[in-house]
Amino acid sequence: MIRTIKENQDSWQSGMAKNITFIVTKDCQLACKYCYLVGKNVKERMPWEVAKTFIDYVLDHENDPDFAYESVVWDFIGGEPFLEIELIDKICDYIKTELYRRNHHWFNSYRFSFSTNGINYHEKAVQDFIKKNRDHLSIGITIDGTEKKHDLNRVWKQPVADDNGLTKPSERGSYKDVVKNIPLWLEQFPGGGTKVTISSADIPYITESVLHLYRLGIHEVNINVVFEDVWQEGDDLKFEDQLIQLADEIIDGGYYQDYACSFFSEHIGKPMDPERDNQNWCGAGKMLSVDAAGNLYPCTRFAQYSLRDKDAWIIGNIRNGIDKNKLRPFLTLDRTTQSPQKCIECEVASGCAWCQGENYDAAQTHTVFERATAICLMHKARVRANNYYWNKLYRKLELEDLREQYEANKREVKPEIC
Amino acid sequence: MKKIVGQVTPEEKNEIQQLFERRNGLNELAKILSADNTELYEKLVKDMGETGTKFQNWWDRMAQKYQWESAENGNWEINFETNEIYLVS
Amino acid sequence: MLQYLVILLDDTSVAYCHADNPLKGRNLIPLETLKKGILFGMKQNLMIQYVFPNYELPKEYAEVIESIDNVKIYPVGCKPVTGIEDGNDADVEAANEVPEKEEAKNLVLRLTFTEMLKQKDAIAKLFASGARVNLCITDVEQFSDEQMEAYKQVLKEWNATLLDLYKQGQSPQFNLLTDRMMLEKMHNCEAGVSNITLAPNGKFYLCPAFYYDEQTKVDNQLNHHQPTSDNSVGDLEKGLDIPNLQLLKLDHAPLCRNCDAYQCRRCIWLNRKLTWDLNTPSRQQCVMAHIERNASRDLLNDIHKVGEFMPEIDIKEISYLDPFEVRKEF
Repeated sequence: MIRTIKENQDSWQSGMAKNITFIVTKDCQLACKYCYLVGKNVKERMPWEVAKTFIDYVLDHENDPDFAYESVVWDFIGGEPFLEIELIDKICDYIKTELYRRNHHWFNSYRFSFSTNGINYHEKAVQDFIKKNRDHLSIGITIDGTEKKHDLNRVWKQPVADDNGLTKPSERGSYKDVVKNIPLWLEQFPGGGTKVTISSADIPYITESVLHLYRLGIHEVNINVVFEDVWQEGDDLKFEDQLIQLADEIIDGGYYQDYACSFFSEHIGKPMDPERDNQNWCGAGKMLSVDAAGNLYPCTRFAQYSLRDKDAWIIGNIRNGIDKNKLRPFLTLDRTTQSPQKCIECEVASGCAWCQGENYDAAQTHTVFERATAICLMHKARVRANNYYWNKLYRKLELEDLREQYEANKREVKPEIC
Repeated sequence: MKKIVGQVTPEEKNEIQQLFERRNGLNELAKILSADNTELYEKLVKDMGETGTKFQNWWDRMAQKYQWESAENGNWEINFETNEIYLVS
Repeated sequence: MLQYLVILLDDTSVAYCHADNPLKGRNLIPLETLKKGILFGMKQNLMIQYVFPNYELPKEYAEVIESIDNVKIYPVGCKPVTGIEDGNDADVEAANEVPEKEEAKNLVLRLTFTEMLKQKDAIAKLFASGARVNLCITDVEQFSDEQMEAYKQVLKEWNATLLDLYKQGQSPQFNLLTDRMMLEKMHNCEAGVSNITLAPNGKFYLCPAFYYDEQTKVDNQLNHHQPTSDNSVGDLEKGLDIPNLQLLKLDHAPLCRNCDAYQCRRCIWLNRKLTWDLNTPSRQQCVMAHIERNASRDLLNDIHKVGEFMPEIDIKEISYLDPFEVRKEF
């Protein structure tokens, strides 16, 4: 027998890794209309010295409880992170070398993670970086579906920024510039998933978009509605209709065997026990983000460029470290304390997500303890369609005597907990 | 063809997963570390040898312990999520 | 449930809690505002607590002030206002240094941690005066883990003084050490919940510190949707409007609702200042409160050894000083 040995590693250290995010730039080639980053600009690019000081700070605190995780995911975010590929390459080389030089336990367990718009994915600098770090990379390209749906929101920015460096959307869609890189990406990351965001205007295109992504060869579609209060009367019913259509297509077309869509999950739509199921949804506070100025945040969503109405929630900086008092609200958050009574009593509560940053931004006061409920009706619509999906799927499988086989091999998309 | 031929304990899985990660880390570090950095370079070369040996020892030890089914031109895979061992042939 | 209305009679009204009053210019509450405030208190069935400045108020205020049953908080040694009768037993005198001779029934002593250590013997002498002594540390935010031992030590020394007084049959009252022995549940400041503050501008605030912050333009983090730095939670015209009122209550404070440092001030102003969330205490506040709680336990155990004082009360031993460290066990 040939003793070549290969390890399957579909799932990597979920829940056991510290997420550390570099906001390497606040610039992006695109100016997506639904983007929560309201302060994107061309000015704030991370200097190498900031990145290095931050890495040193983090690695110096190996034994601090805030960093006592078995593994680490170094996230790179923008704007568009690959605009800063040279900096990222330098950062990753430094991290690897320092982890090894210090005998840091994370050397045995780290990843570099990227969420990119995919536009410069094919460029040499990006490709060289991928080849160099292939075994430690996780890269997701965001493509929203059909050309029509994608270009509805994901448009190029205007070539010239305003006087404050802020960027504005143009009319030019980005679909063609992204889709050309999908085959290369899937070749390099065959299990790669994409993240689709749904806003009010996107609802009519959900079904065709998910199917389109499947046909492009993307097997995992993580999809969610925006948390912001953008919904209009009747959107929930349109959303439900779309999801039912999608359910029919997935089931009748047999996609359920090899493809996954995060809209459909057996774990959503159940009541939740106020004591047993009281954990926070969001990982803010357990994560750590740094921006170009060297300020630290509990999550990127608390940086100023992510916030409409509130001041940034800065928990420290790379020179003085983390002010642990500023983390205490995040690390004591639970579901019921931040939820209004209607959520606590909700019969279909499970799977209803929230974003701590959006909660803070939308709150009446300066708090992370006020849950925004703008997606309430959308979640309920999703639950109804989800129930339809599983009832229809299981009936089909039973009739075909395939349920057991399906249960044994089913592909699940874990809810994305940011 | 791929079939399950056994399962290891979580502790055994952790051991090989850590070695697997370390081996990958060392390989990628080797791409950027030059021989000029004598101290780290020597450490790396030694480490790669040791890790490779430990890695192979784990499979030998487990194969011996569990007597997994094997096949000509086949190889074993481990699923880190389920701790299951597959025979791929 | 609201029970108390604190009325700041002037911008320079005496500070009587953690926050200093940085306002230096006199700004007496208009008489009409005062009358409306009293009316509000009467209609809401609130006990009025007047906070006095250190100057004599005009005579026309006396009649209005005394038009309702009240408690007075005033600078130590400073008679509130000519024409006002001697106050009641609940009146409070506030001092920023240890008075040489204590005649008040209730004394609030506001000191920095360092000053407190320096004046520990003078403070101990107050215990025998018969006054209830409320010691308030004014620089809680500066308290560091390195100061824990010093705090434990000074409380231990005061315990010895208090124990002697108990042995002599006295019942000294000192907030940091004797309150916890008497309490079976949380007894905190409850700003915004059991009490609300009316400032000279006719607006309501959660407590005087929020008014001071607003007037000194400390970055407002309470009402971000308002264009100006406005910390107010209503006014005499429109009434009270406290957004996220539930977050001021004990059951919405994840760390505090499981805590048994019942004597803790649980100061929401300090919470906001140090953790940025009104319902989340800082490490400093938690650690100090637990050092006090544990010292109270020691005192109670010592008292049990020498007498029959509250034999049914027991404060259990705990292994932490900051409940944040054991939050997963809650």
